[in-house]
Amino acid sequence: MQSIILRAIPLVSTFIASLLAASCIQEQGGDGAKTSLVIYAASSLTETFRSIENAFEEANPEMDVSMTFAGSQVLRFQIEQGAQVDIFASANQDHTEALISGGHMSGSQFFASNELVVIVPTANPADIQHFRDLEKASLIVTGSNNVPVGIYTLQVLERARQHLGEDFVTAVQAQTVSLENNVRLVRAKVEMGEADAAIVYRTEASSHKLKVVAIPEKLNAQVRYPIGVLTRSAHTPQAVQFINYVLSADGRQILHSHGFLVSE
Amino acid sequence: MNQRSRFSPISTLAGLLGATLLGLLTVPLIALILSASTEEVLAGLGHPMFLPALLLSLKTTLVSLGLIIVMGTPLAWWIASSQSRATKMISLLVELPIVIPPAVLGVALLQTFGRQGILGPVLGNLGLAIPFTTEAVVIAQIVVSSPFFVQAAASSFRKVDPDTLIVARTLGSSSVASFFRVALPLSMPGLVTGASLAWARALGEFGATLLFAGNMPAETQTMPLAIFSALESDVQLAVVFSLVLVAAGAALLAGLQLLPFVTTAIKRTLP
Repeated sequence: MQSIILRAIPLVSTFIASLLAASCIQEQGGDGAKTSLVIYAASSLTETFRSIENAFEEANPEMDVSMTFAGSQVLRFQIEQGAQVDIFASANQDHTEALISGGHMSGSQFFASNELVVIVPTANPADIQHFRDLEKASLIVTGSNNVPVGIYTLQVLERARQHLGEDFVTAVQAQTVSLENNVRLVRAKVEMGEADAAIVYRTEASSHKLKVVAIPEKLNAQVRYPIGVLTRSAHTPQAVQFINYVLSADGRQILHSHGFLVSE
Repeated sequence: MNQRSRFSPISTLAGLLGATLLGLLTVPLIALILSASTEEVLAGLGHPMFLPALLLSLKTTLVSLGLIIVMGTPLAWWIASSQSRATKMISLLVELPIVIPPAVLGVALLQTFGRQGILGPVLGNLGLAIPFTTEAVVIAQIVVSSPFFVQAAASSFRKVDPDTLIVARTLGSSSVASFFRVALPLSMPGLVTGASLAWARALGEFGATLLFAGNMPAETQTMPLAIFSALESDVQLAVVFSLVLVAAGAALLAGLQLLPFVTTAIKRTLP
């Protein structure tokens, strides 16, 4: 038994060495030796980060950024399972904190904020003009309480319980017909005219098929997006450079144009 | 001779290829089983999302399967016994939902039964609202899974020798009686396979349900939707839910496969 293991060692080490050699060649090869950055970002950042990617690559032609978008939890799981990622931008602080305590990230910083709004179809069948009219809607769709948008919605309803009363919250919850697992699915139900109203991020509300009804500030949730470099990144300086771009005046301008709230 | 064929390069290659696929199909399942500890399984089974989702899945898929068999058998018989070009077109149409991504089918169902859909005004006048209801779950399951049943049933009906039916008719059976007494028993293995496939597909149905029926615990949140929801908060919970779904699927599929044997055994004991 032992002799088999001993004989296998040179074989295995040659195999590992050749793998390493192959990966080094790949690192140095490619077109014009561009540095590749892999970024995982929350679904709600899709269009915004695509714009930032284009602007960043234009300003830094030696960089090649590739983006993956999904729910923050799914991305966190993939990172914990060893996905080779340089930067993670989440819609919820819990996920970055879990990655930091797991040793996958050394720190994070907030780069944008968002808030919730009510969206209704342009025809507005339930005639919702103010947030308190939400109780008139007979088909309401919100995020599930497993996902950031649903957790923030619960916070809004909790504040509404104090300001608008128990009956308002009971009515809204009784008329809620679906708890979706991401904000795009919530929006789709209103865009197709099948729901009377839904609660989504302000950044998801720009569509000609939708009308936006604001949620009063005292009831609204504070949604903050953290971003950070993964400890396993092989391109930490370049990753920091990307994050600095997001935080720069140019980056903030792009975030602002997509409806995010950024510090002046 | 025997020895040689066992070691021929082609049979070795075939064995390797088969074993690779077998590994690809089973190793992920084993990984899933190994990744869940007993405590996690117990915690998962006690989760408030679990029982309503499992019961809803069983209820809706059994209703769907019943409706698929009742509506699918006549359709399959008609497809199998007609030779016309129109029937060939229809049999192709029946298979189309298999290639359409389920999420797109969900959108199509909304565009059919939704408030803004083709049938929306008619249903609205009748006071019927289908999206976001348990009925919508059943409709989604029927649309995605019935093609598997109809396809399998039609192909086994085609294998029934027309002469045996003619003989039955000349012996005085009506066409309905000859269908039930001759064609149906002869096609039973194919029908059971089709029903198993359709049932399994309905149990795993996710995309069309998500769009058409939404995600509401105890009303439209079937096991696959509960798994998807769990995946967004706790991956281990999703793993436990999936294991239960796999176990339920295995048990019910085994039961369906045994059904013909059980019914023949019962028939034998009867005079």
